[in-house]
Amino acid sequence: MTATTRTLSATALVLALGSALSMAAVSTVQAADNSNMEKCFGVAMKGHNDCAAGAGTTCAGTAKMDHQANAWKLVPKGTCATTESKTSPTGFGQMEAFKAKA
Amino acid sequence: MSNHADFAAALIDPERPCPDGLFSANGADPASRFAVYRNNVQSSLINALADSYPVVVQLVGDEFFRAMAGVHVQGTPPRSPLMNDYGHDFADFIEGFAPAASVPYLADVARLERLRVIAYHAADAQPLGHEQIAAALVDPQALRDLTVELHPSLNLLDSAFAVVAIWAAHQQEATLAGIDLNHGQHALVLRNGLDVEVFAIDQGASAFIQNLQNGQSLMQALEAAPAFDLSQTLALLISRNAVTHLHNNKVSP
Repeated sequence: MTATTRTLSATALVLALGSALSMAAVSTVQAADNSNMEKCFGVAMKGHNDCAAGAGTTCAGTAKMDHQANAWKLVPKGTCATTESKTSPTGFGQMEAFKAKA
Repeated sequence: MSNHADFAAALIDPERPCPDGLFSANGADPASRFAVYRNNVQSSLINALADSYPVVVQLVGDEFFRAMAGVHVQGTPPRSPLMNDYGHDFADFIEGFAPAASVPYLADVARLERLRVIAYHAADAQPLGHEQIAAALVDPQALRDLTVELHPSLNLLDSAFAVVAIWAAHQQEATLAGIDLNHGQHALVLRNGLDVEVFAIDQGASAFIQNLQNGQSLMQALEAAPAFDLSQTLALLISRNAVTHLHNNKVSP
């Protein structure tokens, strides 16, 4: 291998590792944000769900009503089952989508 | 056969008679008491396999799984009291188990689930901080000869099937709809903190990580792998806390 390609390769490695570090920094921040949260169904206010509001929707912010049973919101870990939900048969948020009571 | 070997063999094989010389405290037929004990041993071993292979259970159903696991238990009794290690060769058994041949990806799904168990119980290792990794950027010439030590929980699985997609599809509502089962995938399994994580990565990325695990330097590992996105692969390893050491081979060979 010539001296030129050696230098080029080394530069390419520096660039790759450098950009890897910045990408990793971003995803680590996101991971930290979510690590103490849990998905809680049936507690989001209309339009304030974090995701999953049923087929045909593009998730976040699309819940059509308050406490929609198939829309979830990230809440601090351990608090889902104690968060009020008017649609939930248990009266509180649930860890999975449920059938709203009539 | 010694008393002990006789007892152990009868415990695993229901066809064998109750070992000689057993007595019950209340005068009940020793054979019926032994049958209860044997049944408990077998079902607890089958339960242990079901705990380690939850997606395999879902794929074939409880009844089929318990029958298949029962055959494995009889042929491969545990050799250690550590139940998390029991069934480490279950995937190879499944591959040769004719009644399961109609589910060709079953053995690879079992291999993936085994890697998750291994990752969960693997030794702890302190990951390098981003600053420590960034320090390697100071000497570009040395970078190419750097060897990268990865977390002990990290393992790869090359499959001819869409093993990651199949596994992921069974974490919530189980459906294989929309998955091209025969689209081969390369799985990366590792433990990040206390969470075992599974990723589908490119063939090149998988080969690169394998090369690093084999002790090749960054540049060797890169050159010996098919084309892939190096930045993204390194970012994945760094962000999942999978890089534990960087060895500069020029300074300390």
